[in-house]
Amino acid sequence: MVAVNPIYYIALPLFFAFLLPLFGKIHKELIRIVPGLLYAYFLGMSFYMLRHVFVTGQPYIVEIAGWKAPWGINLVFDAFTGLIITFISVLAFLVWLYSYRFKKVEFDNALKYFVLLMLVTAGSMGIVMTGDIFNQFVFLEITGLSSYGLTAYYRGRDGAEAAFKYLLIGSLASTFVLMGILLIYTQLGTLNMADIARNIHLMKPSLKIAAFLLLFMGFGIEAEMFPMNGWAPDAYSQAPGPIGAVFASMTSKAGLYALIRLTFTIFDFSSVSKLLFIMGLLTLLFAEGIALRQEKIKRMLAYSSIGQIGLIMVAFSFNTYLGVFAGIFLMINHALIKSLLFFSASYLAYNSPKKYIKDIQGFGKVMPITSFLFALGAFAIIGFPPFSGFWSKFYFLLAAAQKHYIVLIVLILSVSLVELVYYLRVVHKLYFAKPTGDYEPHSPNWNGMLAMILLALVIIAIGVYPDLVTHYIDKAAVMIMDKAQYIHNSLGI
Amino acid sequence: MKKLIALIFVLYIGVEMFFVFYQIPFGMDRVQSKVGKFYLEHSPKDLKVANAVTSIVVNFRGFDTLGEVTVLFIATTALGSILFRSRKVHNRLNSKRTSVEASMIVQVAGRFLVPLIVLLGAYVFIHGHLTPGGGFQGGVIIATGVLFLLLAYRQFSVNHEPITWIESLAGATFAGLGLTGIFVGKTFLENFLGTGKLNDLLSGGIIPLIYIAVGFKVAAELTGILDTILSISVPVEETENQN
Repeated sequence: MVAVNPIYYIALPLFFAFLLPLFGKIHKELIRIVPGLLYAYFLGMSFYMLRHVFVTGQPYIVEIAGWKAPWGINLVFDAFTGLIITFISVLAFLVWLYSYRFKKVEFDNALKYFVLLMLVTAGSMGIVMTGDIFNQFVFLEITGLSSYGLTAYYRGRDGAEAAFKYLLIGSLASTFVLMGILLIYTQLGTLNMADIARNIHLMKPSLKIAAFLLLFMGFGIEAEMFPMNGWAPDAYSQAPGPIGAVFASMTSKAGLYALIRLTFTIFDFSSVSKLLFIMGLLTLLFAEGIALRQEKIKRMLAYSSIGQIGLIMVAFSFNTYLGVFAGIFLMINHALIKSLLFFSASYLAYNSPKKYIKDIQGFGKVMPITSFLFALGAFAIIGFPPFSGFWSKFYFLLAAAQKHYIVLIVLILSVSLVELVYYLRVVHKLYFAKPTGDYEPHSPNWNGMLAMILLALVIIAIGVYPDLVTHYIDKAAVMIMDKAQYIHNSLGI
Repeated sequence: MKKLIALIFVLYIGVEMFFVFYQIPFGMDRVQSKVGKFYLEHSPKDLKVANAVTSIVVNFRGFDTLGEVTVLFIATTALGSILFRSRKVHNRLNSKRTSVEASMIVQVAGRFLVPLIVLLGAYVFIHGHLTPGGGFQGGVIIATGVLFLLLAYRQFSVNHEPITWIESLAGATFAGLGLTGIFVGKTFLENFLGTGKLNDLLSGGIIPLIYIAVGFKVAAELTGILDTILSISVPVEETENQN
């Protein structure tokens, strides 16, 4: 257990984040290399542990400070959380690779960037793995605070405004979550999620509803759920390019995970999936509608990202095996594809003086590879075969058909049409418009290019051969549906 | 109209929430709650820690505390990142953070009191496992001593170099003590030293060590934050004087 242990996902980034300023004093390059080595290690560890969980069927349960749950805090790395941790590890490594030489900032800024990057990934992983609801709150704080810092990274007026907005809404989210935890603790005297789930029927109904709503709203803000997602487009567009990918693939996914855990495991309301359905659908329609009208490429991606979150919520709200399967597939695909889009779009936006979509016309000739990768991502997210986005949308429609939601299928297909319109508008500008003047663009450096190409290859590989992941998603879907198994794993009863 | 509707909506939610929280018997004896009872029984017996609050904060829920220490660390990092430029532009040695020089009484009292304040802070975090208080409280007390100096002496400035070292090493000590638990075959943050006798200064295994590290870290971080914030007030005052 010494070489692989789920606690390392959190303990090691904290340890090295504290020490990183001192590493910088030894050699300046170390502040960039150390996070990379750490992420490479996590990558190997994730695949090893996930493989182990699937072969033996035994999850990794770690007790902290030697106390068994519910007395102490425990971490759970099972088929579901393990899968999420694995794709967060993959993306963390790629984000590091992409930003290894990002825009050649000076030493102090680079140090802060990598410290906050390590902590935001540790926080997201903590939210996903922890079995303790108060511990989840602590990780929500870590994730939130490092996100505010990263949003204000460029120190412009807009960045400060976006970070302040995010800070206000994020603090509200933390307060809601804390109040919800307080209500649960006064009633049940425990903070362990499995223990709460086991005893939730003992809570007074009015307190139970209030606690659920507080927690749902609190984590909903982090998951960018409508109508509390006003911070997201500003934060996405002001933060450095790779951080947009972090928000899309890690922090929002961690918030989403918390929502899923709340509705599937902790609370026992029968009508809760309806709430998830309505909120998801509202999020989807609202965001895709606004994305259509965006003039700036990063804001457009941000709204598209919010829309995808809505779609994932709707998929989980079906409460069927197929729905959950589609939801997890959508989560993975969205994390991969949106990261590719943010990676490539941040170079496109960097080279367009005012960051408007109309400024990038003709970039298909000026920056052929970046433009091609952006177009690939756009087609993948809309759901064209042979890209991975096709399969997740296909399974989503299957799940909807199984529930006989004909109107929903029509609605989702028309939303896809809206997506098609606004993504093709950008692709059209890239390839079929004349370049404006002769302009010497900053092409991505080799490491950024490598990160993007790797992502594109993964997207195509899953698209051509979906069995690469479906086997794992299958087990994960079974796991999240099985509340008794989660309680058994956590508490040993 | 829009604002009125929003106000009514907020009031409605507020009233609903009031009635929900009204049902909780605040101030009642909740010691018999499930985990609370367990903690009270086991902290003197198994951990040999007299202060049950400390054993909960550093051992039972030590992982949360590591998280909270990190939250403070992020706050200093992010604050430094936002305020970095203004601090660099204005020469800190010439900064005038107060508009008038503090009186001689304050300055002399400062010279006398600050060592005592630091001593009290150190006492509070070293005795954290025995008496009320601990790393966070002790660290804050030490930082107030530095604040006293910053307010009493206009020319006093904090050197950020040692602060960075203390912050990094103290944080790494906390996480490192936790990781050592794994390497000696136990779990993260589990005690691997002898627990000693209840109420002795040298008792509780790694718990006092962690709390001392927390004390150093909190003191260094709050000092850094105070200095950073106080040294940006300069341009504001200057413009006011010019007007």
